[in-house]
Amino acid sequence: MEIAIQILVTGLTMGSMYALAAVGLSLIYGTLGMFNMAHGMFMTLGAYAVFSLASSVGIPLALAIPAAMVAGAIVGILTHLLIVRFMLTSREFETNILVATAGLAILLEDLVLKVYGGYPYPQPVRVEGSFFLGGVSITYQAAIIMGVALLCIGAVAWLLLKTKFGRAIRATAMNRDAARLMGVRTNTIYLQVMALAGALAGVAGLMISTLATLSPQMGGDPLLKAFVICVVAGLGNVWGAGLCAFGLALIESAIGFYFGVRFGFPTMLMLVILVLIWRPLGLFGKERVVRL
Amino acid sequence: MSALLTATDIVAGYLNRPVLHGVSAQVAEGEVLAVIGPNGHGKTTFLHTLSGFLPCRSGTFEFAGRRMENASVHARVEAGLIHVPQGDQLFADMTVEENLLMGAYLVNDGAIVAERFEKVFTLFPKLKDRRNQYASSLSGGERRMVGIGRGLMADAKLIMLDEPSLGLAPLLIEQIYEALGALRAEGRSFLVVEENPSRLMGFADRMCLMDAGRMAWSGTTDEARRSGDILKTYLGGH
Repeated sequence: MEIAIQILVTGLTMGSMYALAAVGLSLIYGTLGMFNMAHGMFMTLGAYAVFSLASSVGIPLALAIPAAMVAGAIVGILTHLLIVRFMLTSREFETNILVATAGLAILLEDLVLKVYGGYPYPQPVRVEGSFFLGGVSITYQAAIIMGVALLCIGAVAWLLLKTKFGRAIRATAMNRDAARLMGVRTNTIYLQVMALAGALAGVAGLMISTLATLSPQMGGDPLLKAFVICVVAGLGNVWGAGLCAFGLALIESAIGFYFGVRFGFPTMLMLVILVLIWRPLGLFGKERVVRL
Repeated sequence: MSALLTATDIVAGYLNRPVLHGVSAQVAEGEVLAVIGPNGHGKTTFLHTLSGFLPCRSGTFEFAGRRMENASVHARVEAGLIHVPQGDQLFADMTVEENLLMGAYLVNDGAIVAERFEKVFTLFPKLKDRRNQYASSLSGGERRMVGIGRGLMADAKLIMLDEPSLGLAPLLIEQIYEALGALRAEGRSFLVVEENPSRLMGFADRMCLMDAGRMAWSGTTDEARRSGDILKTYLGGH
């Protein structure tokens, strides 16, 4: 029982962070049709922004979360305004933007290295202490991560499903030209999606840095996992990405517990290969039937 | 009657390939203009140019008293120029209701939206039963109804219909044109594009024949009926 709770808590904590990263990544892919290779740096910058604020003026956690969101959103907006916007109409958009955002990621990573150095700073904004649940010690930090992720993902789900704004995002993702014919300013939607996904990535970065340390490369591993999750779920499927994030994290955590942490990720990758052999479009991917 | 839409000498097309070589057309308020002609001669390109998808290389376009040849798609929709595209272009993973709501995207008054829902459901009662079904699960006729209904949800001054009979069984075509006829009787304005003019005889006030990117003939529907030979030359006998 205790083992089950331990695995569950570890899995859900990791899943929360994966989900924050993967949902944003999937939202961008679904709407703009671009693989955002700089998504990891959105996370890193969110974490470093909070680090800078906390070490200069000292902010509490309650303010750190919105600060990380704002930082991530700003990076997302700038990426759109300075790069994506100009490439959207190009014929080879998917390939070009992949290379462009990968380049941006390298540039940003080197900038962070230049400004902050490579020292693995601890994130000053974190909550110490823990409590017991069913005989298992759970850190307050882990509980906060789960709570924040749940709130953020819930808010995104509500936004997408229940609001006019969310409907316009989904419409743009499904059929861009038809959305324009309804009067949707699709370029504005793209900007808003980049801001939204950036905000989610910013929070994800902050949460990741509270568990480990800050480093210029800290976004690389979560980005890779978020990619894997998006592919397993079916590219651009936002709901699937959220679900798969938790599913894969739970499996990783169980494997990590029984066979050792170093087997967690390789097993996850093997599962992914098996899933893709069985369902090439991902678990929730749909083959689009084109009818006239 | 004042002119709602005036297009003058419009030249447009795709990169290095002009399709329209100086097309002019006019739709008065409360009038139904039909653009007919064989496929591949610029009818759809004409509508895409009017709705702002394709740039207008030369010529002028006036809608509801405003020059619009350089306006954005958004500005044209806002002005009341609603384009119901060929092949419906529904939002496949949305329900019928959500698709219709997207049609009313620029309408902010909830009461007006509710009123238009009623209007669409009276016109196409089938859609009321299907309102919570995904658009991808609908039949061709139902999808056409959603496409037209979506156009009716907007603040339309003029609705442009691109081949509303395309790919439908004769009985369904009749149903669709019956509904369009009811809307016409209310005094709504339409610009409708069809390959086959036979369905348009009771619907359109005037007809233009588009051939190789030019208007080859235009006149009232009665004149078109009388000078059937001209049309047959272009469209083949029926």
